[in-house]
Amino acid sequence: MAIITISRGTLSGGRATAECLARALNYPCVGREILQEAAKKLGASEEDLSGKLEATPSRWARLTQERKTYLLAVQTALAEHCTTGEVVYHGLAGQFLLRELPGVLAVRLIAPLEMRMRALMDSHHRMTHKAAEEFIQDVDEDRRRWVKLMYRADVEDPSLYDLTINLQSISLETACEIIAEAAAQPQYEMTDDVKQKLAAFAAKCREQLQQAGEG
Amino acid sequence: MAIISICRGTQSGGQALAECLAEELQYPLVAREVLQDAASELGISEQELSRAMERAPRLWKRHASVRRAYIATIQAALAEHTVGGDLVYHGRAGQMLLAGLPAVLRVRLIAPMGARVSTLLERNEMTPTSAEEYIQHVDAARARWVKMMYGEDIEDPALYDMVINLQTLSVPAACNIVARAVRQPDFAVTPEVKAKLMDFRMASRVKAALASTRETRVLDLQIEGHDGVIEVSGSAPALKSGRMGQEIVEIARSVPGVDQVRLNVEWFDPYP
Repeated sequence: MAIITISRGTLSGGRATAECLARALNYPCVGREILQEAAKKLGASEEDLSGKLEATPSRWARLTQERKTYLLAVQTALAEHCTTGEVVYHGLAGQFLLRELPGVLAVRLIAPLEMRMRALMDSHHRMTHKAAEEFIQDVDEDRRRWVKLMYRADVEDPSLYDLTINLQSISLETACEIIAEAAAQPQYEMTDDVKQKLAAFAAKCREQLQQAGEG
Repeated sequence: MAIISICRGTQSGGQALAECLAEELQYPLVAREVLQDAASELGISEQELSRAMERAPRLWKRHASVRRAYIATIQAALAEHTVGGDLVYHGRAGQMLLAGLPAVLRVRLIAPMGARVSTLLERNEMTPTSAEEYIQHVDAARARWVKMMYGEDIEDPALYDMVINLQTLSVPAACNIVARAVRQPDFAVTPEVKAKLMDFRMASRVKAALASTRETRVLDLQIEGHDGVIEVSGSAPALKSGRMGQEIVEIARSVPGVDQVRLNVEWFDPYP
């Protein structure tokens, strides 16, 4: 049993891998809906929350109190999913929001640019080669800047993750098998102690969120 | 079955992982042998070859043919071990030397500096500072190899199929994960894969032979092999083109496994 976070660039097979894994392990799968839950906690709309939270901040609008509160709401919503000790999370910043918690397997998926572009050039999206390349690079750059600003880290640094998997020659099914094997290792065992820590973390997040709301 | 290449910094558990995998999967284990074989083939010591490969790429530009001969000989030495389709290789630059081959799993192992220093201190009497310096020194030498051979950054995760971080995971856990990975159909050694591995060995042998022969070593040619047929392509100076072409064919033909040589070289006039 484990909490699995999956980080990846856009169109790198993150959602499909997360869903495959959730099916194989019979875990709930959580992605962007976390934003909805976070918005509810704040009494805000999801658009407002994701807009303010995910937009790449300009040089003049650094880590504001509002952004901090929004992130805390996301963290709290995620922490609440984690108390059962079983979840596959493929949303925003899982590797940071759950950093230093036990029982968390942090995974990063990477894929060659060409492979990612193909998804945008299909009959549905109909993007040109150049447009697809620019789109992916823009999204990647935004995420890189976002992570740099919020966590002073490089999202591509493999030392942030327990496992980095390159989908260049590894299939999605194999990636799913590999991650399932990793999650079965004793390092991620859900002992009573770990469960207590996860519950304490959720309680602490809730408390901080409440204080932020009052303050 | 698969060919597993393990790349890691020093004191990062690479050897332990390689041994665990060889034991678990019953694969042969190869590390320094490749460099030793290549060195003896080149008529130099292993240390000389290793040192030479750590030279600055700038310096190598002036000795392109020597560099090519070294790389080709190392690759040929490694290729000899790959034809069985099962191998754990934890020597230098496996991710580069085996790039593009089927059934290859390129693993990189990383570990936090603190843990690596502790490992070193357990086995040696030294201060933590000198242990860290030693680790950085060895890491830098390995990074220079990869930079020198292919101009790549050894830490770039895109060079590997999998990067395992031993911060939380243990070596036995990493061993379980890699073993599970190679049991997947992606890494099955089918008859087609075996044929490709044979082709790779044959082409590597020819490349090494051409790179170490005086007449042909200056040429930078592409060598591809398929089912006993070697195809040599690229462009070369046309000076004595007839004789040079014949030379290439003769050298390639003398390599075991080669039945036919197709010369597809564009000759150009070096003094137009």
